[in-house]
Amino acid sequence: MSGLSAMRTTFAVFRKEIVDALRDRRTLMVVLASSVLVGPLVLMALSLFLAGFEARAEKREIVVAGIEYAPSLANYLERQTYTLKPAPADYEARLRAARLSDPVVVVPHDFETALLHGEAPVIEVVSDSANKQAEGGVGRIQRLLAGFNRERIALSLALRGISGELLEPVQLEDRDLASAQTRATQLTGMLPFFVIMAVLYGALHAALDTTAGERERGSLEPLLMNPSQRAALVLGKWAAVACVSMLIAVLSCMSFVPGQWLLQSDNLKALFQFGLHEALMFLVLLLPFAAALSAVLMAVAIRCKTFKEAQANSAVIILAVSLLPLMSIFSEGESAWHLWLPGLAQNALMTRVLKGEGFGAEQVLVPLVVCIALTALCIVFIARRLHQAAVR
Amino acid sequence: MIHVEQVAKRFAAPRSARLGFKRAPAAFVQAVQDVSFDAPDGHITGLLGPNGAGKTTTLRMLAALITPDAGRMTVDGIDVVAQPRATLARMGVLSDARGLYPRLSARENIVYYGVLHGLSRDAANARAESLAHMLEMRQLLDRRTDGFSQGERMKTALARALVHDPAHIVLDEPTNGLDVLATRALREALRLLRTPEGGAKCIVFSTHIMSEVERVCDSVVVVAHGRTVARGTVDELLVQTGETDFEEAFVKLAFVEEQQAVREDVR
Repeated sequence: MSGLSAMRTTFAVFRKEIVDALRDRRTLMVVLASSVLVGPLVLMALSLFLAGFEARAEKREIVVAGIEYAPSLANYLERQTYTLKPAPADYEARLRAARLSDPVVVVPHDFETALLHGEAPVIEVVSDSANKQAEGGVGRIQRLLAGFNRERIALSLALRGISGELLEPVQLEDRDLASAQTRATQLTGMLPFFVIMAVLYGALHAALDTTAGERERGSLEPLLMNPSQRAALVLGKWAAVACVSMLIAVLSCMSFVPGQWLLQSDNLKALFQFGLHEALMFLVLLLPFAAALSAVLMAVAIRCKTFKEAQANSAVIILAVSLLPLMSIFSEGESAWHLWLPGLAQNALMTRVLKGEGFGAEQVLVPLVVCIALTALCIVFIARRLHQAAVR
Repeated sequence: MIHVEQVAKRFAAPRSARLGFKRAPAAFVQAVQDVSFDAPDGHITGLLGPNGAGKTTTLRMLAALITPDAGRMTVDGIDVVAQPRATLARMGVLSDARGLYPRLSARENIVYYGVLHGLSRDAANARAESLAHMLEMRQLLDRRTDGFSQGERMKTALARALVHDPAHIVLDEPTNGLDVLATRALREALRLLRTPEGGAKCIVFSTHIMSEVERVCDSVVVVAHGRTVARGTVDELLVQTGETDFEEAFVKLAFVEEQQAVREDVR
């Protein structure tokens, strides 16, 4: 009997809180826009940047200042099918202001004569490490110029009747062990962060409104004058908040699936594979996290008399959740204890999904248990605080 | 039938807003020292007292929101502290805080409480209709409560408190912020609820306004400094104090200590 009435109460509270949250259109729209759209938009911006980078590499252009002093270099570059572009006079200022997106090769006046006399003229590759676009092209230019060096060496050795191979007693070859998806995570590594933030902001408003907001409106006191079990009231409220947060989590994860169709960079498109399977793996991690986060935010907010105070207090949680993923950068790689910290665990496992490594049941179990325990703890705490909170 | 016997409650005083690390010694405010009254069925009992006399704290204890330090309270013979949910089910309480949900309509606000009281959604809806008729707020029923006037809020909160047709009605300063017409309507509603046709409810109603008490209450309990200082009908209290004006009688009863202090000052 009492169990049945408690369930009825929980459902009544859940229903009311959901209706209340969904009617708060403006907040809902802001949350949707900021948390669901931001991820795909950032991905798109990233892909535009990469596409521009790829396009420049394909164009095979090189910006040179003073190429007229180096016909031999010009000849070499043209044989490599590069188009030479004269550098603008104010290239330094332009590079600093990030208005020039290619590094500039600077050839000295006496290039040819110095070369003939074996005086090793200096060619500068000018870039600005703060100008990411130009900086990205430096390696390519340096490899190109090293090729020129090697050609000169081979030629002069051949004139003296020596094999060029003598200069290379050891052959070097790169072998990259990273799979295509692993390489992509260098770029898509921020994705889990966006999704976690979406879950957080999805829960935030509803969590604060059902606790501190209820206190501020003066509606908590009359609510407790109903003959309902406190735990049933809290459970209903929590279920509603968790539902809103989970809804945002689902929308946010699913938004990446069509989001990748908008990718401009072919390379990134090939590397970033986020299908339904990945989205579901994300959700397996995120749904318990959303439930726990809702409970934690409510537990923080029930102690606050006003919505404003609760916002200030929940900033600590927001900060913790956004900073925890940084742990994986500071500590070397993944450690077993990472799985015990909510936020960090989800971040680590989602990164694995993006790398194409996936995770096993035993790895999901730890964060799942942590989330359930945290939720239960917070709900008990809120139920205990409820009466104290109602009386101002 | 509500029975309150010698209840007492003290709170930890909020610490003074003083800078520094030294914590002020724990101080207490004795909100209620010794309040007793009986409220029979079919009877309107007024709890009259100045601001800060302990009326709201007493009613909050009756609603099981705070636990009394001493004393005993029963509703229909059921102990409030031991079985708070059973007593709450028998009471409709309009508390000092009467916040509504601004994004819900008046009807949704009322039906929500009805369902929490165990009514079916249909039954709660029917009750909302009949209460709206009694309180003359039918045109408000399907509007969102955001933007309601003080009186409209009061009516909605009252309907919400009465949704489960409780035998006991406890109202904390219900006329606060109401205009003349709304106050009259409330008075009429309370008179009706007291009659056998209205259900012969047991009504307890706290106020600091003398005229309210004179007009509606069958008996008065005067509370001052957390104590019950007098009980009886308006006429009985007039006789007891030897006054003809109820306001004079109330001042005599409620402000004994203040008057003595004034007299001593004059001397």
